[in-house]
Amino acid sequence: MSNVLRPYLAAVRSTLTAALTLEDFASQVVERHNKPEVEVGQSKEVLLNPLVISRNENERVLIEPSVNSIRLSIKIKQADEIERILCHKFTRFMMQRAESFVVLRRKPVKGYDISFLITNNHTDTMLKHKIVDFIIQFMEEVDKEISEMKLSLNARARVVAESYLSAFNS
Amino acid sequence: MDNFRKIDIDQYDEDVLLESELYEPDPRDPAQVLDDVKQKVTAVRSSLAKGDITGALDLVLDNAPYGPNVDEAKNINLQTLLSILNSTKATEIPGVVKALSTDAQDTLMKYLYKGMAMPGWGDVSGSVLLGWHEKLTEAAGTGCIVRAMTDRRLV
Repeated sequence: MSNVLRPYLAAVRSTLTAALTLEDFASQVVERHNKPEVEVGQSKEVLLNPLVISRNENERVLIEPSVNSIRLSIKIKQADEIERILCHKFTRFMMQRAESFVVLRRKPVKGYDISFLITNNHTDTMLKHKIVDFIIQFMEEVDKEISEMKLSLNARARVVAESYLSAFNS
Repeated sequence: MDNFRKIDIDQYDEDVLLESELYEPDPRDPAQVLDDVKQKVTAVRSSLAKGDITGALDLVLDNAPYGPNVDEAKNINLQTLLSILNSTKATEIPGVVKALSTDAQDTLMKYLYKGMAMPGWGDVSGSVLLGWHEKLTEAAGTGCIVRAMTDRRLV
């Protein structure tokens, strides 16, 4: 992990650990329903203050805690047009397969690139620190993945252009 | 004709919970809050000039403005706090953070999150705030974050 990224990820880790104190909580509005309160947003008293952790304007994490669920949204760093396209394709690919990732949300929150929804069922069946580790690892990997894809995309474009233009060389 | 279906009937319930019932309102008048904050600015400057960072932080974090109608006071207080945070050396932070009272630590945590929520505003610097956040979490634990999360008295 690079040294500049470390305080950012440490802040996300500690905030997420603090927010992941969930319990089973039935809906107060509809009888016999049990929904993630952060998504429903109908009872104010069970929603906690949303927290933002940011490195700069382009890289931030929004954590919206509630009594039985938290929503974590990530804005991934996008320096230029290519990174924007790659990031969009990458997150779309994963969100289409959201159920394989269990905690992934099918749509990102507005203004962010990818969102996770962690409910009390997830903390019941999985270890809390493993969930935190997963999110942190995801954040580390996604930056790396996108810059790698950008490099290989540029390399491929160069090879294609060279072989195409070599036809006009002779 | 179907508009009546979109009316939120819960708001007419007699025991509906209002935003203002979630926390105790500030007993001070908005104008007085603004006055208090402005007086603190000069006091903080003189503390900073003497190099007394803990004292300056104590001043800013004590009686911080919260609740509605005091946006100007909140901005001034945040600005003052940021000037302290930005001028502190990284090596001094752990000592300063440990010297604060629990209440002051909680308020500082609230301000750190508020600062991070508006990157690019004034002289907010992400890396400075993250450095403070890390040291504060080390000193005060995750309980401090939970208190910042659950306290409805938003700074």
